[in-house]
Amino acid sequence: MAHNGQPYGAPGTEPPATDVSHTGLKITPYRETGQNHPMQRDLRLTAVGRRYGIRGPWVLRGVDLAVAPGTLTRIEGANGTGKSTLLRLLARLDSPTEGRITGRPHTAFVPERFPSALPFTVLGYLTHLGTVHGLSRGTAQRAAGSWLERFGAAAYADTPMARLSKGSSQKVAVAQALLAEPELLVLDEAWTGLDAAARAELERAVAERTAAGGAVVFVDHDPRRLAGVPDATYTVVEGGLKRRTDSVSSPDVGTGPVTLVVVQGPPGRQLPPDALRTVAAAAETVPGTHRLTVPASHSDVLLRVLLTARPPWHVVSVGADGTTPPDPGSRP
Amino acid sequence: MTALLRYQADLLLRSQRWLPPVILYAAFLAIGVQSGQPVLDSLGYAAAGLLPVAAWLVRICVTNEPDAARACVAAARGPARAHLACLLTALLASALLGVVTTLVVTLVSDPVSNGHRVHVPPLRAGAAGLLAALVCALLGSAVGALTNRPLLRSPGRAVPAMLLAALLSAVLAGSPAQAAVGGLVTGSQSGRVPVPLLPLAGAALVTAGAFAAACALTSRRSP
Repeated sequence: MAHNGQPYGAPGTEPPATDVSHTGLKITPYRETGQNHPMQRDLRLTAVGRRYGIRGPWVLRGVDLAVAPGTLTRIEGANGTGKSTLLRLLARLDSPTEGRITGRPHTAFVPERFPSALPFTVLGYLTHLGTVHGLSRGTAQRAAGSWLERFGAAAYADTPMARLSKGSSQKVAVAQALLAEPELLVLDEAWTGLDAAARAELERAVAERTAAGGAVVFVDHDPRRLAGVPDATYTVVEGGLKRRTDSVSSPDVGTGPVTLVVVQGPPGRQLPPDALRTVAAAAETVPGTHRLTVPASHSDVLLRVLLTARPPWHVVSVGADGTTPPDPGSRP
Repeated sequence: MTALLRYQADLLLRSQRWLPPVILYAAFLAIGVQSGQPVLDSLGYAAAGLLPVAAWLVRICVTNEPDAARACVAAARGPARAHLACLLTALLASALLGVVTTLVVTLVSDPVSNGHRVHVPPLRAGAAGLLAALVCALLGSAVGALTNRPLLRSPGRAVPAMLLAALLSAVLAGSPAQAAVGGLVTGSQSGRVPVPLLPLAGAALVTAGAFAAACALTSRRSP
């Protein structure tokens, strides 16, 4: 796994980590343990409309949308259709001109462009934002450090924000949102400007967030972004919201990179429901041996679920798409 | 709120945008306040000058962050609370400036009334000056809150409106700042130290209302 031995989120934050001695992993509990402070209520938009100015044209009107904990929602639409306005409403940055928004989850927002004209160092800014999100100073500092490391920006920790490149400042914007483990993460084209490694890392971070019971809403112009993964996809058309149904029920494996995972357990044992939720396809090749196809962004989440199950599953092999897994019967 | 205030205060301090108003205020004091002058008169002058400085500091604090950075903070704590933190940081900064100025002016001025006729107890004069300075800091912050974003967003309208409102609230009869400063000036003539508690209550009320209005409007009028 790609997380430097820190499998999930900020070390030292509220959910107590459990040691799984036989795997050598430190695991943060998932939502079924009830320890990750799930959202009080769903965030719900009811007949929401928004316009700027008293006589301005309606940007959005008659929008109904519910964002449940643990779900990934994609918002699509052409330029200037009101996607960003919708995200601002979801993040409770704007009040609706008409209609109602209920639910106030702990929210983090990643803006589309993050100007770095702030008189702080990267670590100083992230520490401030961490405390604003409710972390203690020490915890915020450690979380900031580990997120910078995950995004390959640890070298910039002491760099003044004003000297960052566009991509590096976008990494800071992403880190400030992730370090607080928000209940609702709103990403407005957060991938734009990131390098390939950071883009993949952000996809994995999104997978972790939803697996931990947080809701994630994102806008991105790349149709392959987290392809097949979102629980719901909406399109903003002429100020209204249409739910796209074509690719929701059956995730289209062909559109994104996938990982093949072969695991073994006692014959007849069912895979955990949290594991089945992340996989795109599952087949029991030999009794007790399962061949799972999972979107590449979610392979870490799947492995964590399988290895932390009681008793844990045995992972026979993990491979990229197309590689033939070794003989399922053999043990390494 | 503590984390928000600490963030905003750090931002204000590091941005160094507080330097122009503070230097201008120091120049204003250097021109009008000299050692050996009657203490109440000088305190009134110092307090009156603090009003536009307080409004200016609010403008600095509410425009200190780029929009995207403001959105990040507002998502975490709500736009109203994020805006309140900006306003309170500016108010605390101008109150601090008022305390320091009152202390210095009380120390360098003569504890006498105009024409050196009556002795004025310096401690009581300083307390009266401090109250007047707080009145002006509060009212100036209220002016700043109502003449900057989210109410007036283009600098072309915000800056003239802010300067005009600051001037009017310093001189118009019925304004708490005018009452507090006027009390010090007349007190300097008679030698009787005023206790401007009523203006302070009035200024606190006005400021609370102005802050509440500005904070309630942030999520309606953004970005």
